[in-house]
Amino acid sequence: MTGPHRRALVTGGSAGLGAAFVRWLASRGYAVVVLDRDQVEPDAPLADFIQCDLASRTQLDSVLPGLIAAGPYDLVVLNAGISATGRFEEIAARTHLEVLRVNAEAPMVIAARLFEAGAFAPQAAIAFVASLSHFTGYPGAAAYAASKDALAIYASSMHKVAAARGVSITVAFPGPLRTAHAETYAPEGADPSRRMEPDLAAGLILADVLSGKKTSIPGRANRLAAIAGRILPKPMTGLMRRLVYDRLKR
Amino acid sequence: MIGSGARRILITGGNAGLGLALAKKLSGRHKILLSGRKSKAEVEGALPRGCGYIVADQSDPEMAALALIGGIRDFGWDGLDNAVLNAGIGLAAGEGIDSTEAIRRTLDVNLAAAMLQAQALYPLLRKNRGTLTLIGSVVHTGSATIPAYAASKAALHGLARSLRSEWKGQVSVQVLHPGPAKTEIHAKAGYDPGWIRALFLEAGDMASMMASAIASRRSPVTLSWARYLSGGAYMGRRL
Repeated sequence: MTGPHRRALVTGGSAGLGAAFVRWLASRGYAVVVLDRDQVEPDAPLADFIQCDLASRTQLDSVLPGLIAAGPYDLVVLNAGISATGRFEEIAARTHLEVLRVNAEAPMVIAARLFEAGAFAPQAAIAFVASLSHFTGYPGAAAYAASKDALAIYASSMHKVAAARGVSITVAFPGPLRTAHAETYAPEGADPSRRMEPDLAAGLILADVLSGKKTSIPGRANRLAAIAGRILPKPMTGLMRRLVYDRLKR
Repeated sequence: MIGSGARRILITGGNAGLGLALAKKLSGRHKILLSGRKSKAEVEGALPRGCGYIVADQSDPEMAALALIGGIRDFGWDGLDNAVLNAGIGLAAGEGIDSTEAIRRTLDVNLAAAMLQAQALYPLLRKNRGTLTLIGSVVHTGSATIPAYAASKAALHGLARSLRSEWKGQVSVQVLHPGPAKTEIHAKAGYDPGWIRALFLEAGDMASMMASAIASRRSPVTLSWARYLSGGAYMGRRL
């Protein structure tokens, strides 16, 4: 599963979980292409960096040909995401739109165009990074949760198309992570030590992706939360309300 | 209150399909305001008597939300008992892969527009302790034929779940998932269901089930044959 000529694409690879994916892949000999809005000094050598703000349709359209040409990919990780926490009615309409564009629309467009162009190497894998909120609901980040639900269901709807091209699809549902993104959006008083290290989450997710699993929920506590959400959706959404919504800064 | 007196009901995508069927079902007892992409002249005659009409093209979500708010104000309403966000499109994906244009249009019309409308309508609904109804689809769990459409409906399912919790005690939020009905949505999508269309429910029966699900304020509710055969179109609450 490692080799000098393997090629990977990671969106949102400049920070957080994305940067952890890049470190994991680079340390195993992958040539990694990163697409991100922000270019930072990378922890690992990159094969290519493509700058793009995924909230902008025109920017995405203009980088797509280059993104396809930078393939064929053995592994694609559609990870880029933004959040917005607060009361749904108080968040700016424009912010809601950006959350939908970056988290759902852009990865759907990228996946569709990569499949259409045949930009995958034989036995390639593609991972869509959704959220554990798919199983629990997320009062206090309603648009974020909705965008991640769209992405998860788009990914599972594409299994047939992917299988016909020899590509496996994994939907990842990470829980709370110890990233700058989480620090910004976590409610006041939340305990960061209970969030998972991004490097650990990235390793667990990529192991599932490379073994062709359809879903990846990193961590035992998160898997239990997902099961609880399936069996008791309403109490779990109520719990999320107490953990997130009721603690929002007023 | 449910079951007492005329309610003020807004239905988006109300000039065709399930939206129009629901308007016909409710227009005798309630005050109905419909919205759609077509001009007033185009829909005149097709709408039930007494219904108001607002032109709001959902392919521009921000403009559509503003148009709805302006239209409601011009109609003289200062509150809403029900908002049924029903407008939606489906575009069949060639070989299972949606075009970029289809992904963007589907998400704009079905999801982004509904999201911004929910936000814009919140004060009007809260004033009347009203109900916000999002119209999903049974394919909210996934579809290889219409992936982007399925994704947009999955997002509405998730949006309803979070908002129902956020707005508890102020506005009831629900999502209804209709199964296939005999409307024009399949032809507009460029998809011919063939003989299987004979198995689709009549739009009027589906509208009856929608009305009683709206009156119940429960969420999520799946509206398909199982519910129909257990009397869903004839029994249950009356809105």
